[in-house]
Amino acid sequence: MWAQLVAMMRENTTEEASGQTLDRRRLLQALGAGGMIAVAGCTGGGDGSESGSDGEGSGESGDDTQSVQLLTMGVGDNIKQFFEENNAAFESEYDVDVEFTSVTWDNARQTVNNRVDGGQAPDVSRWPARWIPQLVGKDALEPVDDLMDGEFGEKFAEGVANGTMYNGSHYGVPWAASNKCLYYNKDAFEAAGLDPETPALDTWEDMLAAAKALTESDEVNIPALGLAGADAIETGSQYYHYHWSHGADLVDDEGMPVVNSDGAVEALSFYTDLHLEHGVTQSSPLSSTRQDIRQLFENGDLGMVIGHVYTGLNITESQENGEVDFDYGIVQVPEGPAGRYSLFTIDTLGIFSQSEHKDVARDLIRFYFDEERRFQYSKQKGFLPVVEAVGEREYFSESKNWGPFVEAGQYARARPKLSNFSQFNDRMVQAIQEALADQKSPQKALNDAQSDLEDAMN
Amino acid sequence: MSLAEERTQTGDDSRLAQSAAHVKRNRRAYLLIAPAAVFLVAVVGYPILETFRLSLYRSPADSTIETFVGLQHYVDIFNSDIFYRLLWQTGRWVAVGVAGKTLLGLLIAVHLKGDIRGRKFFRTAFLIPWGIPYAISAVVFRWIEHPQFGYLNAILLKLGVIEQGIGILGNPDIAWLGVVVADIWIGTPFMAIIFLAGLQSIPQDLYEAAAIDGAERWHQFRYITLPQLKSVILMATLLSTIWTFVSFDVIWTMTGGGPISTTATLVIHIYQVGLQNGNLGLGAAYSVIGFLLLLLFAVVYLRVYTRGGEEL
Repeated sequence: MWAQLVAMMRENTTEEASGQTLDRRRLLQALGAGGMIAVAGCTGGGDGSESGSDGEGSGESGDDTQSVQLLTMGVGDNIKQFFEENNAAFESEYDVDVEFTSVTWDNARQTVNNRVDGGQAPDVSRWPARWIPQLVGKDALEPVDDLMDGEFGEKFAEGVANGTMYNGSHYGVPWAASNKCLYYNKDAFEAAGLDPETPALDTWEDMLAAAKALTESDEVNIPALGLAGADAIETGSQYYHYHWSHGADLVDDEGMPVVNSDGAVEALSFYTDLHLEHGVTQSSPLSSTRQDIRQLFENGDLGMVIGHVYTGLNITESQENGEVDFDYGIVQVPEGPAGRYSLFTIDTLGIFSQSEHKDVARDLIRFYFDEERRFQYSKQKGFLPVVEAVGEREYFSESKNWGPFVEAGQYARARPKLSNFSQFNDRMVQAIQEALADQKSPQKALNDAQSDLEDAMN
Repeated sequence: MSLAEERTQTGDDSRLAQSAAHVKRNRRAYLLIAPAAVFLVAVVGYPILETFRLSLYRSPADSTIETFVGLQHYVDIFNSDIFYRLLWQTGRWVAVGVAGKTLLGLLIAVHLKGDIRGRKFFRTAFLIPWGIPYAISAVVFRWIEHPQFGYLNAILLKLGVIEQGIGILGNPDIAWLGVVVADIWIGTPFMAIIFLAGLQSIPQDLYEAAAIDGAERWHQFRYITLPQLKSVILMATLLSTIWTFVSFDVIWTMTGGGPISTTATLVIHIYQVGLQNGNLGLGAAYSVIGFLLLLLFAVVYLRVYTRGGEEL
């Protein structure tokens, strides 16, 4: 077939010897259409896989049953059944169709923004609290003060509830929370002659000393420390522990960038020296996402890593399935000269202004915040319980995996709520990468980041 | 009216009459293609015009208000170092990618044209990379090149060539090569099949005559195959250039444009600026520039290669 096609092409060429200009024009027209892909690529649309599910909008279905759209992110195998069962229960109890959609976190921001811009916002969606300002700026989110200031809002600890506030209003209900601790491989510690039960990992210097011992030990053949450095949003969230604990901030009280303070330079220097000077990390941190280093640790191939509670839950499950055979411990994220911080993230469940079913949306939210449902969600998904009564259950305080994370609540610190936080974080990740690649000194990398961020935020 | 003007006028009238007659004669055909033309205008024409319009406005991610800024985005782009770095990285990506696909495609096509055992199998097998969704191929290559879990490092470590895994995609100096290899692997089958079709359309007599004249295989390739394939090579490389220029999924899946934006091309940057960071106006301006660059390339390429009156 191709032979015929090309032969036809050649025949046309010789037959139309006098039509050179026309040929070119035709070709340019075709090229123009191809080239337009680059142009058209910027006019919305976004993730094609999402657009199919965007089109219906919320409204009445054919048989007059009311419907409500629920959008969430990162629904894996461990939680899929939870949503399937509970959506079905809600449908049955309220005689409402739940149009449930899940997207990956990579596509989350774009998907929601595309739907808002296209007038097809879901009725209810999960949304990270730090991204609230961006949607509020578009008048896309509905304040839910009526819920949060009433009896319903009393379910939540004050700090958690305040996490959903922006400009004096609650723009969502706290849906999930996570924080971090430091995991260590007890077997590797023991082999290196370190105390596996009460290891000295209180400060960053302690952690470095342990990492050096692991690296120098002939009995240990795994990298000592996982360091995230890939071009990914999570590289920032791993690094900020070092940044904050050295007394550095990301923005000042006016929301302006302050990323190149002395403390910040110290923090980034320490972070990069772990790889460049001390060589205690896995090879090529610039290739490693947070997920990569977590996976290495979960496989028993890494000495230490900063991780969520679900890292422990995953290892426990793998141990029960006989897939891994190593022991691990969890301690608090090490302390720096200016204190100890555990990155705290709150995701909310918000109602969109475009929703024509705000009452049903509120019913759906109330339904999902039943205490038993919240317990099942936290337990299965591995997120900190946001409902106080759930957090007080013995399951969390007695669990080897959960205990340290509950304790880490006192060190919680969230990333700033900025409307352009994604852009801000990208620039910080670039600075981290420049320093890790030894292309720029930490001072120069952060100075350049500060300058670019000032330009972007002015 | 001068004689020349009168002739021009008469000529214009004549052409108009011819055009009208042509339309009248083919009215049915025009009616039949009208729905497709309307559809094309709606799904291609409108987005293009909207992109041009958007490039003249500032539309921040956290607001629904668009502010007219004229050509300010273009001024900012041409005054920024990022743009020139992106141009270099895009040019490098396209040049090496297209050259690799063309040379490998030609090599494979020439060998597949020969009377080799299992030719049908190889012809099918070589198409497989092209049939796999690009994103999946990209994921496979990312894992092959992964410093801890990848086959490439595992083999090199086993052979004792290296002492610890190399993070190709994490090295700012060579990451782009790690991505371009995947792109060449994906795009080569298309070139090979196009070239093979072209080779099969070259009359065998030419080779026989050349052989009688004592031409060796290299000379046959140089003086018969390449000239006869010229129009096919031109078309294939043009298409490949466009596709490689606008290629997104391979780079995005493998590196997301990193590390330190060293694998970002213009298209990746457009996505980051326009869709990730929500700055649609600036992203649209980059898109317009990318479009004009492609158009310019196509015009220059065609002029150079059709110099001397040769046709495609």
